[in-house]
This record gives sequence, structure tokens and C-alpha cells, in this order.
Amino acid sequence: MMKFNPKLSQKLSYLVLFLASTLAIMPVIVIIFIIVKNGMSVISWEFLVSMPKNGMREGGILPAIIGTFVIVMCTIMLTLPTGVCAAVYLNEYARDNTLTRAIKLGIVNLAGVPSVVYGLFGFGIFVMFLKLGVSIISGVLTLSIMELPVIVTTSRNALNSVPYSFREASWALGVGRWQTIRHIVLPNALPGIMTGAVLSIARISGETAPILFTAAAFYAPHLPHSIFDQVMTLPYHLYIISTQIPNMPNNIIFGTALVLLFMILTISFVAIFVRVYFRKHEKW
Amino acid sequence: MVDKIKVEDLSCYYGKKCVLESLNISVVQNEILSIIGPSNSGKTTFLRTLNRMSDLDSIYSRRGDVYLDSASVFDMDMEELRKRIGMLFAMPISFPMSIYENIVYAPKRLGLIFKKSEQDALVEQSLKDAFLWNEVKDRLKSSAMKMSGGQQQRLCIARILAINPEVILFDEPCSGLDPISTARVEESMVELKRKYTIVLVTNNVKQASRVSDRTAFFLMGKIIEIDTTDKLFVSPKKKQTEDYITGRFG
Repeated sequence: MMKFNPKLSQKLSYLVLFLASTLAIMPVIVIIFIIVKNGMSVISWEFLVSMPKNGMREGGILPAIIGTFVIVMCTIMLTLPTGVCAAVYLNEYARDNTLTRAIKLGIVNLAGVPSVVYGLFGFGIFVMFLKLGVSIISGVLTLSIMELPVIVTTSRNALNSVPYSFREASWALGVGRWQTIRHIVLPNALPGIMTGAVLSIARISGETAPILFTAAAFYAPHLPHSIFDQVMTLPYHLYIISTQIPNMPNNIIFGTALVLLFMILTISFVAIFVRVYFRKHEKW
Repeated sequence: MVDKIKVEDLSCYYGKKCVLESLNISVVQNEILSIIGPSNSGKTTFLRTLNRMSDLDSIYSRRGDVYLDSASVFDMDMEELRKRIGMLFAMPISFPMSIYENIVYAPKRLGLIFKKSEQDALVEQSLKDAFLWNEVKDRLKSSAMKMSGGQQQRLCIARILAINPEVILFDEPCSGLDPISTARVEESMVELKRKYTIVLVTNNVKQASRVSDRTAFFLMGKIIEIDTTDKLFVSPKKKQTEDYITGRFG
């Protein structure tokens, strides 16, 4: 066997590892660079707060921003409380038997179902069967079903990270189950739950497939009046202007992508901030 | 002598495995009863049966009965029982909050105290009874997690005292502590005996001989011998007991 010079192998492995991480981060940098370079020129206050004009070739993207915002907020308001409650039940109350284990496994697997499947499911159930039509409510319900397993899973992880001994110590003092959860477990699991929630927000703001058939409008001449209206959303708007409209000015496409990217990056940074902030205050 | 706790023909199982076999033992009011024995002898299971912490384990089952002041603990409300029988764990478990909050946590949840002045008085009294007051009186608002292991364990004692139990179970309370902290905790135990009944499970044979009134020797889920501490250590009746306390096995 050939004998390697230890110093050489040290340098070689360093190089391989360094190249691998560069390879992982390069595309992100390139994407951001191209989008910023091409889209920056169109970004103005005007672009953010006005309606599209001339078959979306001019004007702004206000309805798409508002549509995305409304859908994301409604979804998270629906999924976060439900998901956290479900996680608390599964983790703290449900007995450990074959049924609950199957349910837990099912939830983890649901989180991996492709989003277009949820889109079709939502179309079948909410749009057709419940006759809610293509509307904000259908989109929100579809996204909620998609995001619920993710929220349940991240919340369960957060609850699991609170040492079991805290619960035992509290029970041993005669404090009941719910009080222990309310005053010991939840406060300590909160950072993890919040991080999961913020990342979910980032994920659903970028989703196209689930709202494609359930909520998104090709073009809406006015802002939505109620939850039964169709809306424009950023990801879908981006898809349309880049594929469906001839003679679309390039800078508007990149500008729209930039706004979407910026939104999601901001949300992700909030998640990182929340985690760092709470980790500093974690005491075990 | 009044029996505070009376255990009648108690057997405990984890799954099919029998960890305690037909136990009969009683704990006298205001005594310290030590339980010694090698690991896997069922000492901790015994303790956790007394305040029904074991009931949380799905594979745990039991037969027989345990009486607290002649009422069966298995018929009592679990929360009410644990309020009457406090338990101190092997590792100090302070909640991640201030020293002050740690002590008023349970009394607040149980609705024992309401006014701020009551809380202040309770915190001071409990910390004094646990011999911790002088060390922490100036930093009650700082995090409990910043204290040393020995201090945290005494804080846990103070926390139990704050709910004013009748019996306190100590589950190897000094296993993670240095000799000085251990001495402090033992000191407080001897003092606490005046007001409370104490059951102490310990791996430290010398500790049992230092603090307890009576000592029981457990082996493989059975009581081999129980007697006053003096007698058990000076002239044990059984060969196994003698071997264990002289350090020949275990």
C-alpha cells in the first residue's frame, strides 16, 4: 500500500472539504447576484405599491405582495395553534402504543408529500367538493393541511428538547400535568416552536403548486375584497410573467423575483435571530 | 411510635420482571429510614412507588398496598399525594428561572399562596430551613442554574419544603456532590427530621450510618434485613448484610 505523507493528506482533505462547501454555497451566491443585478433597476416605491398595467408589462406588483401576505398570515394563524396543540397532545398526553406510534410516523411522512399533491387534494376537496371555489380560503386551507405536519413535527422536537427531568421534578411537587406543560414545558420549548413557525412562513410564501389550482389568479383587476376572492401571489405571478406573457420586460421579472427572495430571506433571518436570541437565554 | 407509611405485601414489576417482591416495611413518624443495597435491588422503584411516580411508566405494574396515615396511596389523587410526599432526585433539577421563582413555583400552581408578602416570607423560611438563605439572600432574582451543584440540591430541598409535605423521599441526593456539599445536605436532613418523616435511598453506606435512625438492606428486590442503624452496622444478623456494609460486594 502506498504510504501518504500525513502533511499532504492533511492539506488534501482540507482542500476537498473546502471545495465541497464552496460548491454548496456558490449557486446561492450566483442566483442572488444575477437577480439583484437584473432586477435592482426596477425596484422603486412605485413598483411595490401600484397595480400592474398594460397586461402586467408595466406598473407594480402590489396585488401579488398583498395576496402572498394575506395567504401566509391566515395560514400560519390557522396552523400554529392547531399544530402546537396537536404536538402537545401527542408528546405529553398520548400513551405510547402502536396506534400513536403509527400516527407519529404518519405525520412525519406527511411532511414529505410533494406539494403538488396537496394542491390537487385541495382542489378536489375545497374548490370542487365544498364549492369554495378558487379563493383565498381554499388556498389557505390547502396550505394549512400541507404545513400542519411540519409544524407538528418541529413543535414535537422542541417539546422533546425540554429535559424530561423538568417534568418529573414538577410532578413530584404535586403540580398537575397541564400546569407543568403550561409553566415549565411550553416556555422552554417556545424558541424551538417559534423557529419552526418562522421557517414554515418562509416555506409557504414561496410555494406555488398548492395554490396553483386553489387560490391563485392569473390577473386580478382589483385587490381581494373577501376571503372568497381569488388573489395574485408572488410565486405564481412570477411564473406567469416569465412564461405566459410575450414581450415581458426582463427587469420586471427579475424585480419580482428579487422582492420574493428578499421577503423569504428576511423571514429566514428572523428565524435565525429568534434562535440565537433564545439560545443565549437557554440555561441547561 | 406511629407508623407514617405502612407497606403491605408490595410487589412491583417492569414488564414481566419482578423488581420488588412481597415487601413489608413501615416508616415511623419523624425518623430517617435509610435504604441501602447494590444497584438493581429495587431501592429507587420502592421510593417511586411511594409517591406513585412509577405509575407514569407504561410497563410498570404492582400488587399490594401502601398506606399513608392508614389511607391507601393508590386511592388518593396523585397530585394531592405528591404534595404530601415530596421527592428529591439524584441530580439537582432546578427549573431554568430565578431562585425566587423556583421556590414559589409549586405553591403558586397549587394555590397555596397569593400575596407578595406571603411569597417573600415563604421563600425566606424555606431557604433558611434548607440552610441556603445566607448564601443566596442577596441574589434571589438571579438564575438558579448558576448555582453550584450542592446549592442547587439544597434549593430543591427548599422547593419541597415550600409545599410543606409530611414525608420527604431522598433518592441518592448526594451522588453528584462533593464531600462538603454532601455534609451540608446531610446536616439539613438531620434537622428536617424534627418536622418531617424521611426515607433516604443511598449508595453511600457511610451516609446511611451517619444520618439514619433505622436502615434497611435491599437485595434483588427483597428486604434482607431491617433494624436500627446502630444494630445493623455493628452486628448485622445476615451474612449478606455484613458483606455489603463491609464492602465485600456491591
